[in-house]
Amino acid sequence: MSWLTSTVLASPNVRRHWLGRIVIVMCLGQLCLAQELKVPASVTAGDETTISTTGSGKAIFYLSGPGVSSKTEISLGQDVHLRPGDLRNAGDYLAIVCSISCRSTAFYVKAGKPAYLTFLVHPSRVPVVQPDAVSGVVFPFDEFHNLVLETAIVSFRLSAGNLPVLSRSVRVQDGVAWLRTTSGKSAGKLQVVATLDSLSATRTVQQVASDPCNLRIKGQRTPKIVAVETEPVRDCSGNPVPDGTIVTFSVSGDGGKSTVDSPIKQGIARAQIQAPGSLVISAASGAVMGNELHVGAQP
Amino acid sequence: MKGKEVSNRRLGGPPKILTFVALLFVTGTVLRAADSSVGVQLDTRKTGPRVVESQTEQAILRDYRLAWASMAKALEFNTVDPLQGPFVGTARERLIGTVASQRRTGLSSHYGAQTHKLVAVFYAPEGDVMELHDTAEFQLQVMDGGKVVHEEHTIRHYIVLMTPGADRWIIRQLQAVPQF
Repeated sequence: MSWLTSTVLASPNVRRHWLGRIVIVMCLGQLCLAQELKVPASVTAGDETTISTTGSGKAIFYLSGPGVSSKTEISLGQDVHLRPGDLRNAGDYLAIVCSISCRSTAFYVKAGKPAYLTFLVHPSRVPVVQPDAVSGVVFPFDEFHNLVLETAIVSFRLSAGNLPVLSRSVRVQDGVAWLRTTSGKSAGKLQVVATLDSLSATRTVQQVASDPCNLRIKGQRTPKIVAVETEPVRDCSGNPVPDGTIVTFSVSGDGGKSTVDSPIKQGIARAQIQAPGSLVISAASGAVMGNELHVGAQP
Repeated sequence: MKGKEVSNRRLGGPPKILTFVALLFVTGTVLRAADSSVGVQLDTRKTGPRVVESQTEQAILRDYRLAWASMAKALEFNTVDPLQGPFVGTARERLIGTVASQRRTGLSSHYGAQTHKLVAVFYAPEGDVMELHDTAEFQLQVMDGGKVVHEEHTIRHYIVLMTPGADRWIIRQLQAVPQF
């Protein structure tokens, strides 16, 4: 007994009203009982497919799924042809056929082959030799923007100029592959390439010098001032520290203590100090201290 | 695969104009309530490589709940406005596509009694994307005008990609899968 008839008989108030309909339903027996749907076990996004129906007579076919909701009149017993454009989005679909009653069946559409990679690389600018400073995340998508979940291997290659820095293969798990690594030793462009089969995506990270290392200063007294400057400021890997980095010169002498901030210009920071007495000058940038410079008093 | 049967039902009740007025009156309340009717749990114990901070966890719970409430509203009333905030990219395009085709065909979908068990499986090192697995349980009703053409209590699995926006987490990808 169908839901319809059992529900109707359970309600005495409507029994008489529905009896006539039950008779009609029974008269149309074949139509009621034979309406079945058969969907394919597996469909790939963008493929065409067929849903077969049984029974006879007219019916309404509904297709409900991600991005799709259609309604067409069909003849039971004939196949329902779904065009490639009907099933472009991966996910759960419902096929529903309604004549006197409705029958439904769910089926799943899976993503197609990877067609492009979404590749996120951070940061865009990084100091050299920073542990775990560069990260890359890859999501493979098919041509219809469905996330591809099947197992695959992504190769990450990092290079600075023509020199390889790192090469690593990572398995795609749950539709994602990722990498985290130390930045390279030399300032300049770091190419980060992710490859999956014939697909690849490239991103560029600008590597810059790290903090100054071994800050050294020199200077001399002129008739009016003390001119002091650093030697070319480099990080511990030997990369010139970017222009604009501030070097602070500290001066102590008979007149007390004072400081002068000076930006590095073409690799060197310079300062001019007006003080007639003997001086002790030092320099610092970030956490790095330089040597002390002793300058005698003006003759 | 054998189908399940749902008998056709005409929704009885008041005349259309009364229904419309009542709808206008209750829509705000119902839709606000819809948010609270979406239950969401989040498990971040196995998330990596980045650790999910508790404030992020709260934001995900709040925004995922809002997203499903908004989606339910959009697909029930065939309006795209609720989709503007919580969804972006492919997820939003597909939902807008569903709403547009439902409008054309006169269909609507009702997602009731929702519970979502979320597991965050991946949180990018820089915190700019999170992948979640959602085991969702809800009552789904597909209507053609006033006629129920499909009704089921269902459990579905979704892979979700969320990214942080200016003031919330946004769903970029919402893709059903047979299992995890």
